This record gives sequence, structure tokens and C-alpha cells, in this order.
Amino acid sequence: MEKEILEQGLNLNRRKFLSRLSLGVGSAALGSLLIPDLFSGKSGAEEAMMAALPHFAPKAKRVIYLFQNGAPSQLESFDYKPLLQKSYGQDLPESIRQGQRLTGMTAGQDRFPLVGSYYDFQQYGESRAWISSLFPHTASIVDDICIVKSMHTEAINHDPALTFFQTGAQVGNRPSMGSWLSYGLGSENSNLPAFCVLLSRGKGNGQGVYSKLWSNGFLDATHQGVQFSNSDDPVLYLKDPESMSRSERRKMLDQIAAMNDLSYREFNDPAISAKVQQYEMAFRMQTAVPEMTDVSKEPDSIVKLYGPDCLVPGTYAANCLLARKLSESGVRFVQLYHQGWDQHGNLPNEMALQAKDVDQASAALITDLKQRGLLDETLVIWGGEFGRTNYCQGNIQVDNYGRDHHPRAFSIWMAGGGVKSGMVYGETDEFGYNIVKDPVHVHDFQATVMNLMGIDHEKLTYKHLGRRYRLTDVSGHVIKDLIA
Amino acid sequence: MPNTSFFRNLLENCIFVLAGFSLILTLAPADFQFPEMLQVAGRAHPLILHFPIVLLLLGIVFFFLPSFRKNQEIREIGEFTFLIGTNLAGLTVIAGLLLAREEYDGEALLLHQWAGLGVFVLAILLYFLRSKQASIRTSLSLLVTVGIVLTGHWGANLTHGEDFLLAPLKSETQELPTLAEAEVFRDMVQPILESKCISCHKEGKIKGELRLDSQEAIQKGGKTGPLFLAGNPEKSILIERLHLPEDDKKHMPPKNKSQLTDDELMIIQAWVAQGGHFDQKVEDSAPESELFQFASLRFDKNKSYDFESADPETIKELNNFYRTVHPLYPGSPALLVSYFGIAAFDPESLQDLKEVKEQVVEINMNKMPLQDVDLLFLKDFPHLEKLSLNFTDLGKDQIQAISEIPNLLDLALSGNELEQEDLQLVAGMKGLRNLYLWQKNLDQTQKNDLTQALTGTSIDFGFDGSGISYQLNAPSIKQDKIFFSDSLKIEIKHPIHTTELRYTLDGSEPDSLTSPIYDSPIWMHTSGKLHVRAFAQDWIGSPSSTTVYMKSGLSPQDYELLSPPNERYKAQGARTLFDQVKGKNNHTSGEWLGYQDKDLTVEFSGAELQHIQSIGLSMLYHEGAYIFPPTRVQILAKSQGNWNLLVDDQPQTSTSIQEIRSELLLYPVENKSYDRLKIIVTPIKSLPSWHPGAGAKGWVFMDEVLLN
Repeated sequence: MEKEILEQGLNLNRRKFLSRLSLGVGSAALGSLLIPDLFSGKSGAEEAMMAALPHFAPKAKRVIYLFQNGAPSQLESFDYKPLLQKSYGQDLPESIRQGQRLTGMTAGQDRFPLVGSYYDFQQYGESRAWISSLFPHTASIVDDICIVKSMHTEAINHDPALTFFQTGAQVGNRPSMGSWLSYGLGSENSNLPAFCVLLSRGKGNGQGVYSKLWSNGFLDATHQGVQFSNSDDPVLYLKDPESMSRSERRKMLDQIAAMNDLSYREFNDPAISAKVQQYEMAFRMQTAVPEMTDVSKEPDSIVKLYGPDCLVPGTYAANCLLARKLSESGVRFVQLYHQGWDQHGNLPNEMALQAKDVDQASAALITDLKQRGLLDETLVIWGGEFGRTNYCQGNIQVDNYGRDHHPRAFSIWMAGGGVKSGMVYGETDEFGYNIVKDPVHVHDFQATVMNLMGIDHEKLTYKHLGRRYRLTDVSGHVIKDLIA
Repeated sequence: MPNTSFFRNLLENCIFVLAGFSLILTLAPADFQFPEMLQVAGRAHPLILHFPIVLLLLGIVFFFLPSFRKNQEIREIGEFTFLIGTNLAGLTVIAGLLLAREEYDGEALLLHQWAGLGVFVLAILLYFLRSKQASIRTSLSLLVTVGIVLTGHWGANLTHGEDFLLAPLKSETQELPTLAEAEVFRDMVQPILESKCISCHKEGKIKGELRLDSQEAIQKGGKTGPLFLAGNPEKSILIERLHLPEDDKKHMPPKNKSQLTDDELMIIQAWVAQGGHFDQKVEDSAPESELFQFASLRFDKNKSYDFESADPETIKELNNFYRTVHPLYPGSPALLVSYFGIAAFDPESLQDLKEVKEQVVEINMNKMPLQDVDLLFLKDFPHLEKLSLNFTDLGKDQIQAISEIPNLLDLALSGNELEQEDLQLVAGMKGLRNLYLWQKNLDQTQKNDLTQALTGTSIDFGFDGSGISYQLNAPSIKQDKIFFSDSLKIEIKHPIHTTELRYTLDGSEPDSLTSPIYDSPIWMHTSGKLHVRAFAQDWIGSPSSTTVYMKSGLSPQDYELLSPPNERYKAQGARTLFDQVKGKNNHTSGEWLGYQDKDLTVEFSGAELQHIQSIGLSMLYHEGAYIFPPTRVQILAKSQGNWNLLVDDQPQTSTSIQEIRSELLLYPVENKSYDRLKIIVTPIKSLPSWHPGAGAKGWVFMDEVLLN
């Protein structure tokens, strides 16, 4: 008997899987739009979890995560270390490094010559935060953001570190942060996916991003991140075919629905009615998506705010603008990745190009959300997967040097959505190597983000392979000092 | 049945002794001093009181219940039990009266004392009238039973505090105040006193002459003087006692009573340190103080809503694909409403919201076409606090309607074009906390007036971009191919439609005044290079975009490479140079011939070469990948058996790392009849000093030779 029950469950899942796969509209795009209770088989575990959600008011309703993929140097952006400039070329003292591990790229170096920022720093705003001259626009909104200078992570190479940040584990196949939030909070606008992903590439040395970073892992496929295309047509296959009008499309859908209804009455298979709903959803998306992605009606001041690149699809600026539009339309989690921050060499040159790509549009996003009254309810995060070493990798010159991976201390910033504004949190030692005050582990960061969204990170779990999983794995503390 | 009459007589007489003693104690003046021995006896009260309770009740059961009464032996046991119980009741009363002199006072004590005495007297009466009529017996037994219960209850109130018994039944629904409302004493200190201290320090049970149940009493202090020294926890008895080791006699709360937690200790200590005020707000404490940190977690920063929840079915029905109505968080009565989908917006559907008008706290209708939609119904939403109406084409009547919403705090009107009279209505909305008013037509005077009118409101006028000039981005050029044999169409686009595009074909940089304006696709008939820039008002002109277009009218009949290309970049060999296919901007695409160690040398011949006028070389440059312009280009022609040098050029080398790009090196040649042509392209031998790979050998990459 037990075997039969199990098999029935498996069949249901397979049918469910196939019915979602068969649609073909941006694969998961539609999957995530399905009305949650279309399928009778919502797992008991899921319902139990939903009931266990803590009852407290969220401070943020939505997240926009501006991921700077490749790990931007904290020493040329937010962590000002004049000592490094003074100690140019001197060896990193053993008392600071304490034999900590290095990557294979610099482990073979005879010496570790310290190198300071080629770019000058200045203090800005009421918080008097130090920001380098590469980020003038970010400096202008410094009182709206909270700079965390004491982030640390466990991984030392890009892929595991990125995966760790996004999924809470260094190996793949766990759900991404956006998937967890989609699972815990659901979709705000049922005409759009709850979790969207936008990619862009800078001119600096780049590292790959893979779809496992926005994977739903073991959660239901509805929670998968939907990657938007970098073209004029962000969601593929939504347009009506040439020479087919909306009214014809409507008639066609009505006919299909009528036929499906007949077979539903004959077989009583819920997958049939699910399919009808999917077609209807696609029809609604045909108006919802173009409405949302249309940038032609943006006022001139917006183009100036984000910079003219915001009208060129596939640029970071365009993605920031699109992120605002998606978020404004109720998308829970918008994940951007900007590639090109891996400056093992030629850092001053490449970092300037990278900063130019992202500085204005990142700051613009904050200003834009603010002037619409949305910043209070939208959490914006800017940062990479780890930091960079205070010593030079390869040949050292004052204006041409490189930095290796450094997971022990790096900087990110957050804004809006219940985060304290105009604050600098945490400190590193004067070499910028170790954290000396208020360390924030990646799991702490994740716990804090979830707290801001009204979720207790220890209670949002999913049982899989006999164990309850959560985004923060088995650790993580909410950093109360970051919360306004 | 053993003979018990001796004991019975003794006990019956004892009753009178005890009754007499009780009488004396009851009547003795309050300041009458008793020997200390008796104080010990008094403190035995809580111990012995349990015996009379059990024995009297047991006696009543055995002695009076009809089914037991029939049995002689049981009845006698009952009588005897009751007699012992009455004696112990007497002892308990005496001990209680002694204890009462120590430190108890108040109404609860009086009730307990007289009820206890009553039980004793009634028990005596019942014992001696036990053989009278059944009605007397029954009513007296009932009275004794009720008396025991009441005495016990009032006694327990004395020890454990009032309402101890029923406390678990009372619901814990008491709402916590919000962080803004919370007071240090009322909401943080007092609850600790009430749960941990007050049972022994209150009216009716004033241990150590200290009462903690009123502000005056707390200020007064106890036997050892004032409870605390404001601002100085180290010198405060309260703090000292709390911190003594638990075994210390003076430690509070006494050993075995419920102790203060670390957080509670911190709260009381912080309260004393901050001056021990009774009306201080939590928000007045320093934000980094432990007290504030703790409070900010305990008290909600948001207002807690105490109105009734709406019917879940109603809420469910209000939700559809274009409108979400959901609680602030699971279990909250407050509802948030959002509209999505401009095309599907139905103004009539707004009226549905009246069903939940009590519960709605937030409405988001950003971008919905609200022109001329009646918003007057919103004034009946008593708890509506946040209204988002960005880009909704609002008019005067609607602003008027919004201004009548009673408790609105946050209003977003960005992207609406408000007129002067609309602004005056907005200026009257004094209750606003935040106003978002980013729109293009407001002048500085209007902004100032509004700021002055709404002093308590934070107004965001947004970013209008005036006075700031950024550089435009480069235009994009679209052409189907680079090589053409007849003519080629080139289109130019810029993402900002209002820009002016100016171009040149002579290799010079376009300027904003004299260069021709692009208005429709350009048709090219000869090889060349196009430069184009975008210009617009309030913007700095863009960098130029360039493209090459190469006419290739002739093709050789045979060709051969005299030097082999690098193993990795050999493409299709010499054929690559004459295949009329433009390589992609990527030297690894397999469409480029790459040379590093030696010169690229190619020889070719053909009948069409008779008419040759120009020779073009299609090159790839990418300094970052060590791909540089060649240092030397030589073109030789063979006619009548002799090789002649036609071209000997040293192209300009790079001075910085630039993006990967394709360039055309174009050389006019004298129109003569040649038998055979040879091209030699020399890569850079040593990269310049500014390059990260200074001193290393550079590359040349070429994909086509164009003959015209």
C-alpha cells in the first residue's frame, strides 16, 4: 500500500513537472506565475512552514541586489587605508597575515608587497564616510546608505564564494536567496515572476555567472529566478506572431480553453485546468511585461539620473532602471550581476572602468526609489563575493598593480528597507587585512536581510532528503545594529 | 475500637485553651511585644495550616455523609479526626495572629484573619453540636467548608500576590506600546517589579517596610532608606541587593523565589543610571545604549493596530490578478492594497475596497490611469496612512478628496503635474509625515512655499537634472557587412531619440555646428571610414563612433602565403584573406590570420589586377591582448620580371590600451598593369614601455586584402 501511495505522489510530481515545462514561455517565467494552489498537491511540509512564519511586520517589502561579480576591491572603494599608501612596497607583516591561506595565484610569490589605493579618498555627508574618487555619485548619496566594512566569508575563490553568498552553501543545488524569499513571501504581483535576474558585463577581467546562482534548488520550480534577456525584448516569445492580432489570439485561447474543458470533464485531470490557467497567464503577461519594460515614457530627468546608457539594453544602467521598474511593479527580488571586477592585474585602470559602469546608476537607483516614496520599503544591496588583498599580485607599480582574493574582510553597502542610513559599520585593522570590530559573516548578512523582510531565518526551512534546510544553514545572527 | 476517651477529653479541653489564647491575641494592642520564641511559632503558620484544612474536611466527610454515618466505626473516626483538626485550627490561628504582627497589613490580611478565626469558631460549634438536628449539622458543615476555602484563598493572595490563582486564565492580549510611545518605567521596569518583587512588597505584605506598588512608595523606600540614588546605580540599595550572591540573606528576590534575568537586571540598572524617572520615554535613551537596543527589539517600531480584522473570505474575494489585498504580516488586521496592470485597470473596482475601509492602511495605485476617477470615497477610510499615486494624472477634485482623508501620513504624488491651486490644497495637509512630490513643472518659489506651509513634513522634490550636464553615450552604427562590391547602406541610431547625430566621412571628428546631420540611412559607394557623434541640449556631445566600409571589387586568381601563420591562428590560410568575409571582433574566431614571430607575407596574381587602384588591409587591433598595429607595411609589385616597392608605410602605433576594434589600412596604388603583387606586414617587435607586457613581442591579425 505504501508503495502505491509513494508512486502516486511521484506520478503527480512528474505530471506537474511536465505540465510546467511544456509551456516554453521563458521556461520558468510562467512557472513562477502559476497560481500557487492550482495544483492540489501542495506539499504538507510547505504548508506547515507557511504556518510557522513568524508574525512580525516586515520593514522591507522588496529587495534589489546589485551584485558586483568578481569582487571589487574594498581598498579602492570604501575602506580607506592611508597606511598602505605610506608603506608602498613593504612586506605584509607576518603578525598581520598569521599564515592564513592564499589562493594558488599568489601562494607562490616570494614576497607580499603592500600597495595603497591609486585613487584618493575623501569624507562625505553627515556620516563622514570615506569614499574613493572612483565613486563620486555614491558619495553624493552617502547619507542614504549604510556601508558595512567588516564583511567576511569562508570561500576564497569566485564560484564557491558567489554560491555561498547567494545560497548559503559553497556547493551548488541549494535555493538562492531570492527563491527562499519567493517561497516565504510569495509573489506580490501575480502577473510577474517573484524573482527576476538581470545580467551585465563590464570591461574589466570577468568571471562567469551560472544559472545555479538563481536556482530554486529543492524548492518548487515556481521559485526559480527568471533571467531577463539583454535585448530589446527582455522576455522572449511573448509577442504575438506577425499577422496575428490580439483579438484573434483571444479567440484562439477561448477555443483551446473550451476543448481543454471538455477533456477535463472527461478525465478530471487537474493538470488540464492548470494548462488553461497557464495560457491565460501568458495572455496577461503579454500586456504586463511590455507595460513594465517600456522605457520610452521615462522622463528626461530619469535618463540623466541613470546616465544615457540606461536606454541601451544589457548595460548595468539599463538593468538598474529595469530593476526599479520591476520592483515598483511588485517583483519581490531583483538580482543584478555586473561582471568584470576581478582585478588580479591592471587594477587602477580596470577598476576605473568598472566604477564608471556602476557608480552613477547605483546611486541613481537610490535617488529614484526615494523620490517615489519607495526607498523605505525596498532594500538595495551593493557588493561582491569577497574582497581583495592589501598586497600586490604580480608586478608592482604605483599606478599599475593587482590584488588577489581576500575573504577575511571586505565592504558592501545597503540602503532603504529598514536599514540604518548614513552609517558606517565595522572596522578593519590599519592594514585592511583583518576585521577588528563588528564582524559580519555572510550568514549574518543573510539573516539580517531576511529579518528586514519580516522572516525569522531560523524558521524559514524546507525539509529535503530527511533534513530541514535553511538559507543560513546552521549559523547566522541578525545584526540588530544595522536595522533602523 | 480502642478506648480513646482519655485523649478525647484532653483534646476537647485543649480547644478551650486555644480559643482563649486566640482571643487574647486578637484583642492585644498592635505594639504589644511578644517573646521571640513566639515569633518562631508564628512563622510556623504556613507549615501547620495545611493540617487543619485536611483534617477538618476529612472529618466532615467521614462524620456527616449519610452513607458513612451508618457505620459506627467510621463515624467515630470522623469525629476524632474532626476534633484533632479543630485543635490544629486553633494552633494555626494563634500562629497566624503572631505572624500577622510582623510585617503584614492591609485588607487581604484582615479578611484572612477573620475568616480563619471564623473557621475555628464554627468548627468548635460544629463539634459540640454534632449530635443535634441534621439541619444544624449540615448548615454548619457547609459553613466550615466554605470558610476553609475562603481563608485559604485570601491567605494565598497574601503570599503569592493578588489574582495569583486566576492569572493563568487571564488572556495575555495586552498590547505592547510602540517604540515611540514606550516609557522606560511604565513599560520596562514596572512589569519586572510586578512579576518578581511586588508579591512581597505591596499593600498588605510590606516586607522590609518597602512597598513597590506605587510611584510614591518606590520613591519613599524601605527600612534601610531610599531605594536608589538617581543616576548612581553603584550606590543604590536596590541594585546592590539584586547583585548580592544568591545565598546572601539580603539578596533579592530571596533564594528559591523567581530570580531576575540578566536582561531584567540590565533594565533596572539602566533605569536607575538614567535617573530613575517615572515618565522618561524609551526613545530619549541613547540609541547605542543597551536599554534602547533591547527596547527596540521588544517594541514594535510600527504602530500596532487594534481594530478588528476583516473577514478572511472578503479579503480573499478582493484579490485578483490585478489587485492584491493582504495583511501587513500574517495575523495583522491592517491591510495593504496594490494595483498592478495599467491596461486592466477598472476604476469601478475601487469601490470594492469600501468593504474593508476600516482595515486598509496602505493603497498603492502608482501609474494607474486615475484621470477623473472619483476618489472621494477614500475619506471614509479612517486608518489609511499611506497613499501612493505616482504618475496617475490627478486633478484638482482628486487632490481635494485626498486632503480629506483623516489620518493620512505618507503621500506619494510624484509624476503628477499639480497646478498652483492643487499645491494650495496639498499645503493644507498638515498631518503628513512624508510627501513625495517629484515633478517637472514646480518652480523654486512653489517648492519654498510648500516647505514653509508643511513644517512637520519631510518633502522630497526629487531629481530634476537641471544644471547638470553629462556626456551623451556614443551612437550605434548598423551595417549589414563591411565589404561590399557595389554599394552599402549604413544606419545610425541613438537610444535618446531627441539627439542630433552629426557625421563625417573624411576621417575628421564631427562637430556640433558644421558636420552634416544624419537623418536617413547613408549609401556608400567607395571604401572609407565614418565618424559620428550625438549632440543634445543640456548634454555634452558624445564620443564618436566609427566604422569602416570596404569596397572590394576585384579578386585574384591565385594566392599563397609565403610565411606560415602562428599554429593557433592559421584560419583557412591564404584563402581567408580573399574570402570577402569580415572577421568578428575576436581574434580567436578562426577568421583571422595571426603572426607574432615573423612577418605576414602573401603573394597573389590575376587578370583583374590590371585595373587595380587601391589596396586595403583589414586589421584587428586589441592592445590588451598584445595585438598592435604593424610597424611596417610593404607592398611590392612584379611587372616585366622585376619587383618594385609600391608602398612602404609605418602605421601609427598605439599609445594606450583600447577596446578591440577593426581598422582598415588603405593604400592607393598607381593604376598600372601588374603581374603579381606581394604584401609584407611586420608585427611590433617589442611592446612599448607603458604596456603591462612591455618588451614582449606583439601580434598582427589580418583577415582580408581588398583590391579595387
